[in-house]
Amino acid sequence: MRAQAVLLRAAALLLLVAFVARPQLFAFAFEPLTANNASAIYDQGSLLALTLSHLRTVFLATLASSVLAVTLGVFVTRPFGQEFLPLSRSLVNIGQTFPPVAVLAIAVPLVGFGEKPTFIALFLYGLLPIFENTLTGLADVEPQTLEAAKGMGMNARQRLIQVELPLALPVILAGIRLSVIISLGTATIGSTVAAKGLGEVIIAGLQSNNVAFILQGGLVVALLAVLIHGGLAAVERAVARRLGRPAGAATSQPS
Amino acid sequence: MIDIEHLTKRYGATTVVDDVSFRVEEGTVAVVVGTSGAGKSTLLRMINRLVEPSAGRVLIDGKDTMTIPEDELRHRIGYVIQGYGLFPHRTVAQNIATVPRLLGWDRRRIAARVEELLDLFQLDAAEFATKFPHQLSGGQQQRVGVARALAAKPAVLLMDEPFGALDPVIRGKAQDDLRAIQKRLGTTIMLVTHDMNEAFHLGDRIAVMDRARLLQYASPADILTHPAEAFVEELVGTTERPFRLLSLTTVQDALEPGSAEGQPVPLSASLRDALSQLIWLGRQALPVTDSSGAPVGRISVDRILRHGRADP
Repeated sequence: MRAQAVLLRAAALLLLVAFVARPQLFAFAFEPLTANNASAIYDQGSLLALTLSHLRTVFLATLASSVLAVTLGVFVTRPFGQEFLPLSRSLVNIGQTFPPVAVLAIAVPLVGFGEKPTFIALFLYGLLPIFENTLTGLADVEPQTLEAAKGMGMNARQRLIQVELPLALPVILAGIRLSVIISLGTATIGSTVAAKGLGEVIIAGLQSNNVAFILQGGLVVALLAVLIHGGLAAVERAVARRLGRPAGAATSQPS
Repeated sequence: MIDIEHLTKRYGATTVVDDVSFRVEEGTVAVVVGTSGAGKSTLLRMINRLVEPSAGRVLIDGKDTMTIPEDELRHRIGYVIQGYGLFPHRTVAQNIATVPRLLGWDRRRIAARVEELLDLFQLDAAEFATKFPHQLSGGQQQRVGVARALAAKPAVLLMDEPFGALDPVIRGKAQDDLRAIQKRLGTTIMLVTHDMNEAFHLGDRIAVMDRARLLQYASPADILTHPAEAFVEELVGTTERPFRLLSLTTVQDALEPGSAEGQPVPLSASLRDALSQLIWLGRQALPVTDSSGAPVGRISVDRILRHGRADP
């Protein structure tokens, strides 16, 4: 079962790398989908460059969301920040409910075209899962464990860094994984405001009515999502094992 | 040594601990008993300042605890709670090393101390040091919890229902082990429980609390023979009294010269155990031997019964 999953992932990775690096090799598969001698493989830019740029935007946006959401999650669970919990929750929820397309529309006049508005949209969209998981992770720490930590003379900072965050880490990581996967797909709309990314391929396909392009863009995004999901889940399992949890306990979070 | 002076805790209009004073002598065990809600946990938690007193003070080895910074104070006081609160993400060795690490001991000293403690608590270092708490049985977790509290050689050990999560069979053994370790290390212990048997089993002195007040603080025998209030008598259990008294006295105190037939009783056994054996074997007297097995006299039913009376 496990060996099969690993093999499948390795195959997906190989397929992705080959396709992004040498897309022309796969032209035969896409030719039946084209009409009027249109090109079967996206030729208005390098797929590799677009993929890297796509990943970069997602990575930076998720990094920023993680830093803010975890910091905010820690802040509102401290005694001095507790009263900001409802406010923070509403703000983060708005970030999630506000459609990314609308964020783009608002952000473009402010920051111009390109990666910046996409970054803002992804950043806002990615906050909620990380924030909520940070809260859950911190709330799940046994009160007894904290009482013991306090009774042994750990100060608030030591309790946070040595006890609370390590115990919450698997759940926080699950939130980050969720956020990354959402962003990978959502980032494609960034191409409507001239961000370099895989959305460009899909939009080119839509504009020229070329199913082959749409499929290529979608396929690369999907493969990236599958691989990154698997990779991050493996990281979570490794962390959980190091923290003395039975394997799989951390990945049972809803996703 | 712990001196508790007029210690009081009020939450609004309710007084949880009302003007409690007593002294726990160096190297002894004081057990605080009482029904739930009597304020005994609050009393204990005021000693390491997890609860700030409303009035009164606590001195440890003559030093007012309010003059020591909170965290520093807690580094010097071992603390064991019901359920132990072991860190689930840390191994047994890391758990035990918690306070030494906070104190900045060097690696080698910590490793040596952890090994010493694992040895003391009969946990094989090779097997247990790298285990996580969830891989341990209840009794093993309890021992790790106490070992962790003793790691930095604290002057005082506070225990809040430390055996509450154990089943009765393991509990008895854990109490014996604690008593043995306490005797060996000479640790001053203040222990909170609602279990009277535990109080008589472990306490050099027993503090009885009810509704925030300290009713009596005395030796187990005094609590039995001279209860200060009706509630103390009730809590001790009137039908249990003679048997408790007998379990506090050893055969040595009721030894009489002469000899008897039958299986010998050790000198260090309690009168309760000796009586139990006499009843079981249907004899009036049994020979007594010392620790080397040499006969030193005999023990009789009459003599034992005399020790179980209110006025011997």
